[in-house]
Amino acid sequence: MMSDQQIIEGCARNERKAQQELYSRYSHFLLGVCLRYASDKAEAEDILQDSFLKIFFNIKDYSGTGSFIGWLRKIAVNTAITHYHKHLKFRYYVEIEEFVSVESGVSSFEEDLFTSDELFRVLNELPTGYRMVFNLYAVEGYKHKEIAQMLGIDTNTSKSQYSRAKAAIREKLEKLRKLKGNYPASNQ
Amino acid sequence: MKDKKEDKALRELFQDKLGNAEVIPAPSISKALMRKLILRRFLHFNVASFNVWYAGGIVIAGALIAVVLSSDPGKNEQTKQAPVSTEINTPLINKAEKEETVNPAVRDDAENETVYEAKGDEKSGVSITSDEDDARIHRDKKTNGVTSVNIPDISEEGLIIEDKTGRNNLKIAVKQSDNLIAASVTEGCAPLKVIFKSMIPPRDSCRWTFGDGGYSTDRNTEWLYDIEGEYKVTFHVFTAGGKKFISSVNILVHPKPVARLEITPEDAILPDDEIIFMNYSTNGVKYKWDFGDGTVSELFEPRHIYSKYGDYDVQLIAFSEYGCSDSLVVLNVFSGSGYFVTFPNAFIPNPNGPSGGYYSPRSDESAFVFHPVYSGVADYQLRIFSRLGILIFESNDINIGWDGYYKGALSESGVYVWEVHGKYVSGEPFTKMGDVTLLKN
Repeated sequence: MMSDQQIIEGCARNERKAQQELYSRYSHFLLGVCLRYASDKAEAEDILQDSFLKIFFNIKDYSGTGSFIGWLRKIAVNTAITHYHKHLKFRYYVEIEEFVSVESGVSSFEEDLFTSDELFRVLNELPTGYRMVFNLYAVEGYKHKEIAQMLGIDTNTSKSQYSRAKAAIREKLEKLRKLKGNYPASNQ
Repeated sequence: MKDKKEDKALRELFQDKLGNAEVIPAPSISKALMRKLILRRFLHFNVASFNVWYAGGIVIAGALIAVVLSSDPGKNEQTKQAPVSTEINTPLINKAEKEETVNPAVRDDAENETVYEAKGDEKSGVSITSDEDDARIHRDKKTNGVTSVNIPDISEEGLIIEDKTGRNNLKIAVKQSDNLIAASVTEGCAPLKVIFKSMIPPRDSCRWTFGDGGYSTDRNTEWLYDIEGEYKVTFHVFTAGGKKFISSVNILVHPKPVARLEITPEDAILPDDEIIFMNYSTNGVKYKWDFGDGTVSELFEPRHIYSKYGDYDVQLIAFSEYGCSDSLVVLNVFSGSGYFVTFPNAFIPNPNGPSGGYYSPRSDESAFVFHPVYSGVADYQLRIFSRLGILIFESNDINIGWDGYYKGALSESGVYVWEVHGKYVSGEPFTKMGDVTLLKN
């Protein structure tokens, strides 16, 4: 059993075995990250491949400070953003002022009500712009200012897209909840 | 505050569930990745790591150039006319135990495709064992010469890298139609105005068809649906590059209800009469009445008693099962209700003596008494003045008119002025003035 340190050193020396070990150890986790930014699994796997290429080529730059898994995640997120930019011209993202947001009034979500699969699907179905901003802000924890820089958009756009993303997600979750017939007690 | 709490709940849900979620990639991903990795290293030329790989690459590149040169258009015809399969074996190149064979195979259908195979054997890190190991060069002669050359790819497993980029493009093309267009609303009540937006580059042209025979070629447009129904709106994009995309959205237009009402009795007397509001609306399931005096009702046909006479505007709103609504307002319902008081402009008193002014509308055919024709008068005061302004007659009873006598004597013939005021039974007040000519036979 190789340690992370051994794997990193092996990869830096371009050793196939170390690369394979790195892949088998972290690909599941990284695909989870990629899938949040993609609209389906095939796209997520494309991002995953590009992420690993970047990882293998740049692993000698990994300083060893900070968590390795955090470094990997950052590369995957950056790759997803690059991917988003690269395909932006093909994706007609539409912002509609008349967007009708439905306030579902969902204030709390029971942890076990939704499976990861369902949550992934909710994200996958979002318009690409919403998905990017929501992930970066809500899951990765970036600030709107940073997100604006990363995506090359205005800070206010990031904020408004985030709130629209939230509304869209709430609506989807509410639908899902109704579908499951699992209503919380009404006086809760 | 509530918003912040909800926001936090949502973030936590996704952080907890997906922040570290693991998804198993397809097994083929690992292989494809390793192939790409090798390819990248191969293309990533570095003098320090010059090795057999590059030597092999140079050999293949040389072979490629030879192929390109030998297939210049002038010689194409000759090749076509020689449908015999030929096989040329280039001399073996032995360099660092590497063996490479180039087999240009010209087949019957060689006009379309020529396949060159390069077989190789390697020992540096990767070993190629199977016969399938090849770097393939596809030449498409349809467009006069080499149009696409897939960079030779030597993989660990000895498989050819599939043309991932081509597949990806296709996938994206299908995907984009989802985000091509947006409609401000997709469901609503007739007449429904829908704003359609598309985000396509200005150089691309497009066409909207609205599903009811209408169309537009504007990039952003709007359409008014005034007839109920379900419409399929189709959006065609014709890109500058010659590609076509279609996207569509369904618009559901619900019928609009029609609010209709009638108020009875027609000549209602306020505040005495109970008013019945009749409902003749169509497509409604729910109603809201506003009686105009601050009271409302949601009954289908409500009844209402007003506390006093007034100018009341009655409103009815009908709601359909889809939440569509229509309203109707009747302004000043209880005025102009057909009540009136009018006076003649002349009369001929009975010269045989005063009658006391009593008259009956039917019997007073000779017009001995000056009196009004009226309807619905509840309160009444009539005063008649001489031309000098002297009050010569007064009556608070509509059944008593002026017989033409003043203090027992028949008045002079001439013009007299009258003034009347009072209230109709509806409660509406009235005031009128005029003159009347007293005639004598």
